[in-house]
This record gives sequence, structure tokens and C-alpha cells, in this order.
Amino acid sequence: MVVVGGGSAGSTAAIRAQEALPQGRVLLLEKAHVKRSGAIAIGMDGLNNAVIPGHATPEQYVKEITMANDGIVNQRAVLAYARRSFAMIQKLDGWGVKFQKTRSGDFDVKKVHHNGNYVLPMPEGYDLKKILTRMIRRAGVRVSNRVMATRLLTDADGRVAGVLGLNVRDGSFEVIRARAVILCCGASGRLGLPASGYLYGTYENPSNAGDGYSLAYHAGAELTGIECFQINPLIKDYNGPACAYVTGPFGGHTVNARGHRFIESDYWSGQMMLEFYRELQSASGPVYLKLTHLAPETRTEIENVLHRTERPSRGRFHAGRGHDYADDMVEMHISEIGLCSGHSGSGVWVDEHGRTTVAGLYAAGDMACVPHNYLLGAMTYGEICAESALADLGGALPARSPGAEATSDEREQIAREQARVYAPLARPDGIPHQQIEYKVRRFVNDYLQPPKTATRMEIGLAHFLRAHDDLEQAGAREPHDLMRLVEAGFIRDCAEMAARASLFRRESRWGLYHYRLDYPELDDERWFAHVNLRKGEDGSMQAFTRPVAEYVVPLDERERRSYYDIRVPAAGESPRAGRPAAELPS
Amino acid sequence: MSAIADRERAKAAAAHTAGNAQTTQRFDAPVVVDESRCITGCHICIDSCPVDCLAVNLATRKAHMKFDECWYCLACEIDCPKDAITVKIPFLIR
Repeated sequence: MVVVGGGSAGSTAAIRAQEALPQGRVLLLEKAHVKRSGAIAIGMDGLNNAVIPGHATPEQYVKEITMANDGIVNQRAVLAYARRSFAMIQKLDGWGVKFQKTRSGDFDVKKVHHNGNYVLPMPEGYDLKKILTRMIRRAGVRVSNRVMATRLLTDADGRVAGVLGLNVRDGSFEVIRARAVILCCGASGRLGLPASGYLYGTYENPSNAGDGYSLAYHAGAELTGIECFQINPLIKDYNGPACAYVTGPFGGHTVNARGHRFIESDYWSGQMMLEFYRELQSASGPVYLKLTHLAPETRTEIENVLHRTERPSRGRFHAGRGHDYADDMVEMHISEIGLCSGHSGSGVWVDEHGRTTVAGLYAAGDMACVPHNYLLGAMTYGEICAESALADLGGALPARSPGAEATSDEREQIAREQARVYAPLARPDGIPHQQIEYKVRRFVNDYLQPPKTATRMEIGLAHFLRAHDDLEQAGAREPHDLMRLVEAGFIRDCAEMAARASLFRRESRWGLYHYRLDYPELDDERWFAHVNLRKGEDGSMQAFTRPVAEYVVPLDERERRSYYDIRVPAAGESPRAGRPAAELPS
Repeated sequence: MSAIADRERAKAAAAHTAGNAQTTQRFDAPVVVDESRCITGCHICIDSCPVDCLAVNLATRKAHMKFDECWYCLACEIDCPKDAITVKIPFLIR
């Protein structure tokens, strides 16, 4: 079994798989180094979706996420997470992860979501990755650091047969044959271009370039909800989280330039982002995180969390501008787009067992579509995927001897991929990766950033198709350049997916995430369905719908619409409950 | 008029086959290494970097930022046993 990516999901997947398999039979591939990789390279300040008895039930959580994701969810997949959420927390607690507890020793759960209580702070969460790395070593997982998967190997029946990869340090080409592959490659976080113009100034760890989306797509797997972009409310320029989830429980909140609150809930949903966007565009903009009204000791407590965990450099960012939380509100903006099921709902299609539509291929974490799954969902689904893969190895998947000869078809796939990855070395004076990548991502901003229109997205799509030719002209001089160019290919693939899925869904949904000026209404009659993508027989990208499976936790109409009712009405304005965000006057 | 149009057509065609010219630009790098503190032969920061932008400077045999691709995450600075690294916010962002 091969696990691709050693972040939150990949760590638990590898550990769980190794518990059941002989030593040496689980390989964890990581393009960075497992000790500092993935979204939680510098830890995390809390769990955003903890389902803890006494505070929430799995059914309540399923309802909350169904509402937050505008009804388009596979509830069984969300429920599978929710039912194991608390057990995962207990396991992490046993591993030494420090959660905030009350004096009586209970988990100190906070309310950030619109309806329920799911946030469990980890004020000392900075060593989370160290703890996971220790558990990987203790379990005896074989780890290959600095190896990046570039394509998956498939057999004649379309099943996964292994991983093809590039050692990003010495440039060697790796062929790893496997019966089961779990993709845990994180978000497509390097898709839009940050407003600062700095390619790596992204919200997500920039190593998460959409590798998993592209790997799964080329292996024939379906992807879903790609049009439900990730757009985050962030500290302007710094492009890291302002952390309303951390500051909210202390009394911090999001306000407009007049210092007034305009949203009731700071939980990141498309509906919240639409209100945020409108406030930014209005005479009351921009938008700020306000901590100035808090007691000095409260602000110190907040700084102790924010300046040590997740993105600890934000303190020096503020200091560099001469700002501090006591005297200045923190200016915020909305980010460039990305794809990430951890925060919104775009990813590889998986069922409640973490299985993709390709036999032998599983996906977990930010790249697998279990909406709003966050860190704890990634870790839980890592385990779920490992268990499904173990079960399939014992039955559904064909036996393969590790030393068996590659078939002629496999040899051809390997040769083709090797030629593709190394081609830029033959053009040392070709276009450098920075320019190739900058251009694709700039077009993503110009043509895909919501609000969306078909005309603009068609122009963008033409640019993304032309980027194939740009990649043919790319030049490389060392292995590092090859890594970046393979990533540029992933980014191009994700841009095309984002355009095609958004063009296909001719309605507006998920607030700002899929706000179409040419189809401004939410249209449940036609579009209450998943939009999926896959590679067609002719090699072109196909979009189609999949029905939303019958709910296991039904919602009434009032509940379904509750996330539209998050705007704080201005004086003299009547509350606008129950109307889709897209219909709201701006 | 037609001579100018012909010349432009010829140049547009030539642009497809003209090959590539190169230039270099200087960039202010966010990761600053104090070489007097940095241990020769130590690879801790280079291992830590999630985007692989650090490497050994072959001239000085000390760590340096080889590629301007920093996430200003501080992993290198936090993990350095000699406190030899200071990460600045990249200039375009600070």
C-alpha cells in the first residue's frame, strides 16, 4: 500500500495501515519532509469540527454541514466522519495532543458555527506535526521524503497499479508498484494568484498545488463540487487566517470600516463570504477583525495562540506595519480562489469508505470531497481509507507479487511519464517555471474569481488550454525546476476543472463560491445535484451531474435556509430570513 | 502600407522560431542566515522547509535560501538549533 502525502490525512492513513500489514508493506511518500509538511506544518490552533458528546451529536453536525454546503452533500460521508470524530479526538489526546480543557477536565468546546458547538481550541497545537511524526516512526511506517508523485500507474482493467514519482532533490524517477494507493495530497492551494503578486504567499501550504486532484483525474477518477471554490476571509496581504475561530470565543469579531458587525456568524461558508464580499465592495468597506475592545490580558492570551501556531509569522507582519491588536483593527480581504474540501466542497469523489471511483484508489483530507471536513475530518478519513484499503486487499483487489514483471502497457506508461517529466531538461533556456505558473494563475484571477460569467470563464478556459503549449516550451536546469513544472501542470489541470465545472452549473449556489451574474438565482429544481468531472474516452474533460443521495438526516425547509440568514440587518432594515443569498439586494 | 504589414507578418512568424533569450533579476530573499552561527554539515533547516527553497551554499557550505519561494512559515527558524535564521516577511507582502 502506498500513501501519497504525509500531512494530516496521510499520517493517520499510514499509521492505521501499518498496524495491520507486515513491516515494509506500507510506504508513505512525501514531497517535503514528514516532520514539517502539509497544512499543519507548524501545527494548528484548534479543531473546527469536533463532534463531542454533550456538546453535539453526529446528526446535528450532519445537518449543520448540509446547511453550510447548500444541501449538496453526500450525508453518509459526512455522517461517517461525525460518528468517529470523538474517537479520533480521544486517540489524539492519548498521543499527547493538547486540547483546551475546563477545570473539571472536560473538553472546552466553543461555538463558532451558525447553529451548533464544534470548535475545540488547541492553544498549544504547535507541536501537532511532531507528535504525528513520532507516531509514524513508532508504527514502523517506511517513509520516502522528497519524492513527489507525478502520475498513477493503472492496469488494463483501469485499477490502480502503482505510483510514478520524481525525487525532487536528485531528480531520480521512482516507480512504486502497489495494489492500493491512498491519495492525501492536500488542497489545490496555488490556484489563484495572491493580490501581493508573491507566488508562494498563499493561504494553503504552497506545496499543496492540487497534486491529488490531477493525479486522481488522470487515473480516471471522478471529481465533484469543483465549482464550489475555496475563498477565505484573510488578513490582507499576509494572506493568512485572521482566525475568527480563535478570537471569536474571546470576544473578537469581524466588523466593517464603521466598526459595526455585519455578519452574525464568522464560520466560513459561501453565504458568509458573499456578505463579506458585499461589505468590502460597499461604502462601509473594507472589513476588519476587531480586538481593540478586549481587555489587555485577553489580547495577550490571543497573541500567545496566534503568534505560535499555524501561521506564527503574523505577529512580525503586524509589527512591520506598525500595527498592534490594542490600537488597530486588522484589515482583511478575500483570498484568491483555491480548491479544498476541508473548507468548502471541491474534491475527488469519495463514498463513506473513502473509496474513489477507481478500484484500488482512495482519497482523504482536503483533496477528497467530504465538505467542510477540516483537520479532524482529514485524520478520520485517513483511518477510514486505510481500513477500506485493508479490506479490499483481503478481497476485492487482485493479488500482485511485488517482484512481478511490469506488463508492456505499464512499461509504456512509465516511459511516457518519464519522458514528460524530464522533457524540460532538454530546454535549459526554455520558459522558467515562475513565468509559466504566474501566467496561468493570473488568468485564474482574471477569469474565474467570482462573481462568475460564462463569457469570462470561456475566455479563461481558452487560456488554460493554451497553457498546454506553454508547458511544452518550459525549461528546467535542475530537479527543483522539474518539481515546479510538474506542479504547474497540476495547477493548469485544476484551472481547467474550475472553469469547466463552473460553466456547467448554470445557477448560483454556495454564496460567493459559485455566484454567477448570468444565472444569479439558486435553482433547486434543475441543479439540486452534484456536478462531477472525469476524463472522457477521448481524453477530454467531461462534466455531468450525479443525484444527491437521499438524506439520512432529513432537514426541514427552515433549517435548509438558515445559513442565508446570517446578515446583521442595518438599522431600519428588515431581517431577510430564508431567502437565497443570490437573491439578496446588494 | 503593405510593406509594413508584410514585415510585421514576417516578424510574427519569426517570433515562433527565434529561440529564447535570458536575463537575470535580483530578488530580496526573506530567509536570512547568520553564517557565523550556522553549523557546517547541518541540514536541519533544509529538511524542515516544506517548499524545499533552502540548500547548502556550495561556496560557504552554510545554509541559504536558494529559491525565492518562501511561505514565511518559520519552520527553518523554529527548528534551527543555533538560532542562526531570521525569516522576514517577503518584501512584496510586508
